[in-house]
Amino acid sequence: MKNVVKALLLSVVMGAAIFALAGSADASHTKLDVVAPSQLTVGDSVDIQAVLHAAHGGEAIAGATVTFYMDGSFGGIDGEVILGQAITDENGIAALNYQPRAAGEHQLRVEYLTPGASEPEETTWSHTVTGATGQLYMSSAGVQIPGLNVWLLIAVVASVWVILLSVALRVVAIANAGSGATGAR
Amino acid sequence: MGRYAYSRQLQDGLIVTGMRDRISWGLYITTFVFFIGISHAGTLISAILRVSQARWRTPITRMAEFITVVALVCGAMFVIIDLGRPDRVLNVIIYGRWQSPIIWDVLAITTYITASVAYLFLPMIPDLALFRDRLAGRASAWRRWLYDLLSVRWQGTPLQWRSMHAAITTAMILIIPIAVSVHTVVSWIFAMTLREPWNSTIFGAFFVAGAIFSGIATLIIVMAVLRKVYHLEEYITEKHFVYLGYLMAAFTLIMMYGNISEYLVTGYKMEEGAEFHFRQLFLEQFAGFYWFYFIGGLVVPGLLILLPWTRNIWGIVAAAVLVDAAMWVERYFIVVTGFRVPLMPYDPSSYAPSWVELSVVAAGFALFALLITLFVKVFPIIAVWEVAEDLESAEFVPAAGRLPSGAAPEPAGGGN
Repeated sequence: MKNVVKALLLSVVMGAAIFALAGSADASHTKLDVVAPSQLTVGDSVDIQAVLHAAHGGEAIAGATVTFYMDGSFGGIDGEVILGQAITDENGIAALNYQPRAAGEHQLRVEYLTPGASEPEETTWSHTVTGATGQLYMSSAGVQIPGLNVWLLIAVVASVWVILLSVALRVVAIANAGSGATGAR
Repeated sequence: MGRYAYSRQLQDGLIVTGMRDRISWGLYITTFVFFIGISHAGTLISAILRVSQARWRTPITRMAEFITVVALVCGAMFVIIDLGRPDRVLNVIIYGRWQSPIIWDVLAITTYITASVAYLFLPMIPDLALFRDRLAGRASAWRRWLYDLLSVRWQGTPLQWRSMHAAITTAMILIIPIAVSVHTVVSWIFAMTLREPWNSTIFGAFFVAGAIFSGIATLIIVMAVLRKVYHLEEYITEKHFVYLGYLMAAFTLIMMYGNISEYLVTGYKMEEGAEFHFRQLFLEQFAGFYWFYFIGGLVVPGLLILLPWTRNIWGIVAAAVLVDAAMWVERYFIVVTGFRVPLMPYDPSSYAPSWVELSVVAAGFALFALLITLFVKVFPIIAVWEVAEDLESAEFVPAAGRLPSGAAPEPAGGGN
């Protein structure tokens, strides 16, 4: 009987220990912080640094994959867009280059999923982007030939339409000549 | 059916078509390019032959000009259909950039439509005046009003003839470079991209040649139908079919040359993507289309015209039907195979037109036929005054005559 009670107690203790361990796996063992300026201008190029370290002790976690998300809207559908992924270095830092394209208040979400865990460790970074939203891509290639530009195209199209207008004026002349002939009859 | 299909597309969006993100152009753009191509019928027959003073063209000029205007209207319509939401046409105006081939295309096509309408209208003024005067008591009120309005008080005075000839001369010289520019710019919508099959410097010339080729074929078919329906055998003779057949045969050779030049040069270098394209075009998914186009649309029509046994109206009409079918197929595989070559290492996509696209395209061709029929019902189908001028010259140069002596030209197709 004593042995049975001992066995039962041992089972309860072991079960509780396993449950506690499993619970702490889901609870966070790691801590994720974002280091980046909160004020940016459209077209700036900044490195967003996600710093990953152990929740207890603060040791840097190297070789972990961190994912960066941003709110996005395309074709009337809102959702999250993956900006990219980066792997932490020996200091636990995963850096992603970020170039804001639109002015306003934005928020990035950074996520790290501990191996074996079901819930990711995540943090958000809010920032304000100022400046005018516009085209950021500037072609560096190309050969500028003097006179060969948009104005030449406009001039050609305008010339064609002027000639077409002259044809229309001929029709008016036909009508006028006809009314003169009718009046003379 | 076509109207119902289009209403479904308007209601549910382009998801009802077979087009998706990777192959985003299909039957609609194919048909757009085809219609813009056949619109060159009017330019070639009417303008080029008028400039070169080929007098045999006179009985068929008006039909060619009808085809031009109607084909342009139908072609432009397919671009709007392809947009999904028609209101997005406004985005071209609001957000358009001068540097974009799309804007060049819009400019070229609107200019071409305007010039073609002017070029159709100008030589028709004396004939409209003839209708106004001859049908005064017989035509319905709206037709009398229409002829009165469009004949712009034509009395046939020397000043009016001078003004009309000056306007026609200006328009016919202007419309040739406009027509060439239109199909060149249409080709640039493809060729200005970095997609392998479209990355070609001869695309412009190739498209223009193909356009004139299919334009002649369409003119031959329309001529044959109208000749039969309106009993125009007296005016449209076998000679017209044979002359147009010779022109078409010349273009089969030009098109073959274009094909060989394009694919031999590309295949000799075989850059990345070209191998995939060559396989899909010559051996795999699109081989049937390509070889039908080359053999059925270039070789066989050329033989039908050049062989004396088949060089008659039936043979030439059969060649024209084959050419038109093959040129539509050519536009189809140019559009779809271009999108199918992967730009990145992913599996190639596929495209199959849905019933909505097939119905709308069928409706587009039906509209083309309907508009031609309506034009023919209301307006003079043959340039009466030009044929009369021909008759007068024939009196002095008997060898040049083709119409029986004393045959007075009468407005056919309309007026009753």
